[in-house]
Amino acid sequence: MAFEYAPLIALLPLASFVIALVAGEYLPKKGGLVGMAATGGSLLLSIWAMLRVASGGFYDETLYTWVAGVGEGTLSLSFGLLLDPLSTMMLVIVSLIAFLVHMFSLGYMNDEGETGLPRYYAGLGLFTFSMLSFVFADNLLMAFMFFELVGLCSFLLIGFWFREDAPPSAAKKAFLVTRFGDYFFLIGVVGILATFGTAQFAGEGAFPQLAEEAIVGGETLFGFPAGTWVTILGLLVLGGVIGKSAQFPLHTWLPDAMEGPTPVSALIHAATMVAAGVYLVARMYGFYALSPTAMAIIAFIGGFTALFAASMGVVKDDIKQVLAYSTISQYGYMMLGLGVAGYVAATFHLMTHAFFKALLFLGAGAVIIAMHHEQNMWNMGGLKDEMPVTYYSFLAGSLALAGILPFSGFWSKDEILYEALIAGLENPVLLAAYAMGLLAVFFTGFYTFRMVILTFHGEPRSDHAEHPVPLGWNTKIPLAVLGILATVAGFVNMVPVAELTGADITYLSHWLDSGPEQLAYSTYTATAEEFAHIHHAELTPLIPGAIALVLALAGAGTAVALYRGPHPVAHTDKLGGAKDVLVANYYQDEYQVWLAEGLTQRVARGADTFDQGVVDGVVNGISSVSLLGSGRVRRLQSGVVTNYAALITTALVVLLVAFGIYGGWF
Amino acid sequence: MLIETLIAVTFVAALVVFLTPEAYAPQVAFALSLLPFVGSLFLWTRFDASGNALLEGSTVAFETQAQWIALDPYAINWHVGLDGVSFPLLVLTTVLVPLAIMSAWTPIQERISQFYGLILFMEASLIGVFSTLDFFVWFVFWEAVLIPMYLLIGVWGGPRRKYAAIKFFVYTNVASLVMFIGFIALVFGLGDSVNSFDMPAITQALHDGQLSGFAGLGPDMLALVSFIAIFFGFAVKVPIFPVHTWLPDAHVEAPTPVSVLLAGVLLKMGTYALLRFNFTMLYDVAATLAVPIAVLGVFSVIYGAMLALAQQDLKRIVAYSSISSMGYVILGLVAFTVYGIGGATFQMVAHGLISGLMFMVVGVIYNATHTRMVGDISGIADRMPITAGIFVAAAFGYMGLPLMAGFAGEFLIFLGAFQSTVLPGAPLFTAIAMFGIVIVAGYLLFAMQRTLFGAYRLETDYEITRAPLHDVVPLFVLIALIILLGVDPDIFFTMIQDAVDPLVELGGGL
Repeated sequence: MAFEYAPLIALLPLASFVIALVAGEYLPKKGGLVGMAATGGSLLLSIWAMLRVASGGFYDETLYTWVAGVGEGTLSLSFGLLLDPLSTMMLVIVSLIAFLVHMFSLGYMNDEGETGLPRYYAGLGLFTFSMLSFVFADNLLMAFMFFELVGLCSFLLIGFWFREDAPPSAAKKAFLVTRFGDYFFLIGVVGILATFGTAQFAGEGAFPQLAEEAIVGGETLFGFPAGTWVTILGLLVLGGVIGKSAQFPLHTWLPDAMEGPTPVSALIHAATMVAAGVYLVARMYGFYALSPTAMAIIAFIGGFTALFAASMGVVKDDIKQVLAYSTISQYGYMMLGLGVAGYVAATFHLMTHAFFKALLFLGAGAVIIAMHHEQNMWNMGGLKDEMPVTYYSFLAGSLALAGILPFSGFWSKDEILYEALIAGLENPVLLAAYAMGLLAVFFTGFYTFRMVILTFHGEPRSDHAEHPVPLGWNTKIPLAVLGILATVAGFVNMVPVAELTGADITYLSHWLDSGPEQLAYSTYTATAEEFAHIHHAELTPLIPGAIALVLALAGAGTAVALYRGPHPVAHTDKLGGAKDVLVANYYQDEYQVWLAEGLTQRVARGADTFDQGVVDGVVNGISSVSLLGSGRVRRLQSGVVTNYAALITTALVVLLVAFGIYGGWF
Repeated sequence: MLIETLIAVTFVAALVVFLTPEAYAPQVAFALSLLPFVGSLFLWTRFDASGNALLEGSTVAFETQAQWIALDPYAINWHVGLDGVSFPLLVLTTVLVPLAIMSAWTPIQERISQFYGLILFMEASLIGVFSTLDFFVWFVFWEAVLIPMYLLIGVWGGPRRKYAAIKFFVYTNVASLVMFIGFIALVFGLGDSVNSFDMPAITQALHDGQLSGFAGLGPDMLALVSFIAIFFGFAVKVPIFPVHTWLPDAHVEAPTPVSVLLAGVLLKMGTYALLRFNFTMLYDVAATLAVPIAVLGVFSVIYGAMLALAQQDLKRIVAYSSISSMGYVILGLVAFTVYGIGGATFQMVAHGLISGLMFMVVGVIYNATHTRMVGDISGIADRMPITAGIFVAAAFGYMGLPLMAGFAGEFLIFLGAFQSTVLPGAPLFTAIAMFGIVIVAGYLLFAMQRTLFGAYRLETDYEITRAPLHDVVPLFVLIALIILLGVDPDIFFTMIQDAVDPLVELGGGL
């Protein structure tokens, strides 16, 4: 038995979408259980597919022809599945998180008596379906299509509470900003199809392979040397990545997206929307590895975003806002890893981040329920003793986020920084990216533990914090599962330990190096070295690892020192003018809103005035001139429509009779 | 005889509805409008066309060719038939009319029989436009569409209906006149090589280089002048900047079902005719004018979208966005690739369904609230959840959401345009036109945020009630069709490619 059931991985959540939409009102838990069953099924099938791949299986089949090319030179556009180590691993992550988010939603949404739940579960189902289809897409066009559907789902779920003002606005912003990025992505997809005649990721004649051959052959594509054209196409696709993965400067939608229900935030940040961008780069890594410029830009944007977002996270008071900026920052690390040819490191961090970020969001969700939907950390405090399950799992997630040994985030982030450093020692641009990433480690440690201390430690600072609402199993189980994963997931690729002991324990590297050679990690590294000129200096991973760990501990320690004690006070004012800039998010929103509303609206109104005044003015002018001349004929214009109809009919009859006589009918 | 039967049945249906008592007219009209629909489905089962109806070596489906009026030197033939380009548009027409009729049940409350009679009369003429292959007969049908449309806007329209109706009529009639003169000049220029207005024959003669001078113009100059005259005539109908200003007025004043047909089918007459005349008969002239035409198309995309962004009236938003969407069609046509022209043809159908749906949704909201102004309503998703849900789906369809018909059309156009060898700088033109997908998202998202979401508020004195079933059924049907075509574009695209392929091969040497 091969992979013939694999399409069900995505189709089950699609079924749950339809069922919840049509019949959710009459179902137990308003469709929540159907969603759990569907995503649970997806999870089992994903694990099964992963096991098949682990035992040497590989699947790359076209299953459905969307548009079949008929004539010569027209290409066919199709849907298919690509199941390899990377995609099956991601399938497991996505379906696992989706399953846990469904379970958690029973507590967060159903138990809180929300209305519109069928719509909610339908949205979750569609979201999971879109993301899973995106993950196992075997070509770039299919990936783009589901990438867009992921955007739709985020719109629907961020704007779930549509009766309020803020959520619809945030939903609109999320879709619009990512759409701006997707515009470039779409040009890239069209360009790749037009250039190579295929958008297949893998197999004989896949587009990365054709691009490589074109570069080697010194071809000219669309008037450019092949290398330049590949860079242009790669950067166009990167536009979509920057939008969805919330990288600078298209990160502004993500903090606003916190208006959505918290389980949705967990899904968006850990496993679906935001992960989609980074995953896409990994999926077509054979293409990016051909372009030194694209790689450097990916690395630099990543490093910059990691630092930039982490600095804003430092001053936020809303627990979800802190997590939002941490997401942007963490995806910056993944981009950094990808840009320095640290393919395994970035994928590794994508996985660990999925676990600990889902955990942190669900933990924050648990706190928010307990606090009667209070999100300001200054009104919390002291929840440690009241909510032990939440506290310890949240702490595990925080240690992972901060990158502290031995939690999962330490291993993956450390590996990214190590890869960035050894590549950076050969290339100053990459070194700058590394430096920013390294500095961000301190900030990460700081804001993470500021959040932990303010939320869980000290004395309760409000009535709600003194008497939190007790939680049910449906919130505790996901937290426990993710808490364990956030703690241990890093053990799959402990590079420094492998270096120290000489043991062969970098399982993830081996995993990503299995499967077809074309998609293997070592091929990518070789390609990046040959074409993108990314060379690695000789260096032991121990020293950079130690530096990063010290910085993380210093950041965390600073936060603990500043905010410990029963009654912590805000220290942000000490930042002086910098605080205002940070609280205002570097005024990124202002200029983007000005671009989208101020400038564009003004141009639109100008165009409207021009259209009404000049273009239509000319038309009306001509007609008034002719009306003046036809004043005499005016008596015909009686304004009675039946007269017109009579006139027209008469004229038609006369014409027909005339023709009839002329044509010899009579 | 099948096409003749279809046209005749529709005409008779129109007459019957004219004479039906007001009380039964809506139901009778709907029932009778199902006849052409079923008829077109029946045609589909027997559809055996291959190739392009205007080009040699093709098989035209359901073809009838007979001399009708023998004039010297030009005979007028009754020549009808369908190919892969015209058939999808025929189906679009017969699908949209019953739905438009049902959507008229609520808003149309006076002169009911006449209203539905005119709609069916228009449908019959539209079927004629899409199936006729003789210029003279085609022109009669072409003009015959105008009359019911003029009356439908002028009698059942909004407050400024007279202005809008007369503007529509005069504008499109002047355009028809210019087009007519341009085409007749071309026929005269062909001299003895043609002896009828038969469109395939004229096409063949033009492609064989039979054009000689006329009225002091040399063959090349004549072809160019005729091309421009014909292009102008059809550009008004499409409409393309700068001859688009009749459109928003007509749409705003027209009642919902009329808007549905105006945007859904009537605009496609323009693009269909452009494809048949300018891009098939005179494809070599089109190639020399590729850059200016592409500029007009791309400019229409961005300009129409910017205008839509400035509007406060939901109907005006949709109306202006049609200009934008039709700009894509022009880009696809001018690219002269299989996916360019094929995508443009597909987009005609896709946009017909989606814009029809948008107008219907706006109509349902208007029926309930009696306003269409963005500032007057907010949060109606609270009171009309199903309508709001369909609004969201329709808007995302309009934005080109994958797996809905609009994406297929737009994507194929973009792909075809990017690869164009006829159009210099094609990738750049394509990239600029594609920015339309961002602006369209902008204005539709803003409109949705303000009208559907937020706290419920209504500035008019009406109590919102749930929309009646017959308002909502057409919406569901259209959504289903849009998704169906988006998931499986080959339903139409296979036959479209089949008809477009020989045309593009013809221009292969360009």
